[in-house]
Amino acid sequence: MDMQEIPTTDEIRDFVRPHQVHRRAYADPEVFKLEMERIFGRMWIYLAHESQVKEPGAFFRTRLAQYEVLVTRHTDGEIYVLHNRCPHRGARMCMVDKGKSQLLNCPYHAWSFRPDGTLSTVPHKQSYPESFDMADPINHMQRVKHVQTYRGFIFATLNEDPAPLLEQLGEMTDIIDNLNDRAPEGEVELSESSFTLEYKGNWKLHLENAADIFHPTFVHSSSVGAARRAPQNASKIDSDQTRVMLEANGFGVQQWEGIQLKGLANGHTYMSNFYSKGVMVDSDEDPVMAEYKQQLVAAYGKEKTIETLSVDRFNNIIYPNMVLNAQHQQMRITIPLSHDRTLVRVQCFRLKGAPDAMYHRAVRFLSTLASPASMIFSDDVEMLERVQVGLDRDDSPWVDFSRGLDIDQTDDTGAVSGVASEMPMRVQFKAWVEMMTREAA
Amino acid sequence: MLDMTPQSRVEAFLFREARLLDTGDFAAWLELYAPEGVYWMPSQPGQTDPLNVASIIYEDYPILSIRVQRLFEARALVLTPMPSTTHMLSNIEVEEGDDGIVRANCTFLCIQYQSSEQKTFAGRQSFELEPVGDSYRILLKRVDLVNAGGTLPLITIPF
Ligand code: FES
Ligand SMILES: [Fe+2]
Repeated sequence: MDMQEIPTTDEIRDFVRPHQVHRRAYADPEVFKLEMERIFGRMWIYLAHESQVKEPGAFFRTRLAQYEVLVTRHTDGEIYVLHNRCPHRGARMCMVDKGKSQLLNCPYHAWSFRPDGTLSTVPHKQSYPESFDMADPINHMQRVKHVQTYRGFIFATLNEDPAPLLEQLGEMTDIIDNLNDRAPEGEVELSESSFTLEYKGNWKLHLENAADIFHPTFVHSSSVGAARRAPQNASKIDSDQTRVMLEANGFGVQQWEGIQLKGLANGHTYMSNFYSKGVMVDSDEDPVMAEYKQQLVAAYGKEKTIETLSVDRFNNIIYPNMVLNAQHQQMRITIPLSHDRTLVRVQCFRLKGAPDAMYHRAVRFLSTLASPASMIFSDDVEMLERVQVGLDRDDSPWVDFSRGLDIDQTDDTGAVSGVASEMPMRVQFKAWVEMMTREAA
Repeated sequence: MLDMTPQSRVEAFLFREARLLDTGDFAAWLELYAPEGVYWMPSQPGQTDPLNVASIIYEDYPILSIRVQRLFEARALVLTPMPSTTHMLSNIEVEEGDDGIVRANCTFLCIQYQSSEQKTFAGRQSFELEPVGDSYRILLKRVDLVNAGGTLPLITIPF
């Protein structure tokens, strides 16, 4: 097969069958280029959280499609997304992941820019021609035109004429709301703690894995087994949290049967009933939880508190790049680099107004789940890389996603299935085809 | 060993730790730690707080023993095949405190090889050691990677 050719719209449609996907969706650099143009270049993409650019001049560096961008806070409090490129001769401007500065300076010929991208000063102004206009946007750091925030979450799109953000997010705003509602002060803050891991595999593999509740029993059996054999409450530094987390990947029949998978429009999916049937249930004797619940009741009343805490949704995948877990204040962001290289940025939130110990648990959760030395995520990454190695060969072109095909149900909000179904991946690929074949606006 | 200086006694102890890791004797490696001993690999350069800032590893003996158990577990995917390693220590400095605790720090280089891929890790280690007989037990081992805070590869065998 010639991998150099750009697939046509019809070919892309043929990559996705009801129960199968063609390997080129993962292994073809040309398909990746189209994904950058049509998915990451046209949809609303989550970039950063407002708490990362709290004060005027604060900036955070990340990626939007194939571009490096800076999310900035201007002196008037407005948030901007700027291409990290000097308009003079094109130099990459900012070389750090985050910081604060009232002016962004290009080190090459010392043009300097305000946090909204406008040009502040150029040295030796007198030698520029009459026609050189400091106010002309051509001389400014290029702005991403459409930036929108939903309850602290900053999204941007390169689409000139985007559909409304809320339309794209659909029902998934519920989980962003729920995360904020879990804070006694109604707001969350992204903590300084974060890990960035690179794996040698396609970006979609991470989202599929996050929607795949069938794998933990097999992939995580080494840490489940080790945790099961370890004595309870032996550690003095984490109230047994690490051991319990490791053990929780080994599902019993009861938990297995309780979990429900949900698939929505635009590729969003989540799992529910994850904790209620015994996977990491909150214990009533836990003094930290007790204090925290009291704070919530004081802030919102009893009814609302029960409603907030009973939202039992795990691995909420906001397609195409976010995985949110509100119960434990965790987030993972998928950042595609090439068809076979992806960054995963893992972070956790502080619930404003909650006890410090709640936050310490979120930090601990982050390390245990997804540090580079994690006893959990390292085995996931290993599998993602093995899948990519397999898919890079073309002796058998089809990937199977048929599990559950005949028994999935649909209700008025979307697809519903039991834990064993590969419905979430089918939902992701349905959205993928729609986005990849849609006419440009 | 009784005629050894504290410097050479600590060196012998650290070299032994490195050898146990290289030879895959993780059970014996774990026993170098005091029951309340902690292994700490911060995620950020100069990190001082293991509670409010996530660490790559912040584990005491009971959690470390789960980690070691997993090293033995045949199904640990990321450890299949088992990486082979060379741990090298250098620039060892030793200081005996008035509190009876011996503090040591050194630089390290660790080469890990697995499935035809070779990775290099480097950084600084610092120790708080409790003298026991003519040897020590580890109260605290801190590992600061040169690339802490950057994009990191998976870390399997400890340094
Ligand atoms: S390239 Fe930036 S000032 Fe010249
Ligand atoms: Fe997993």
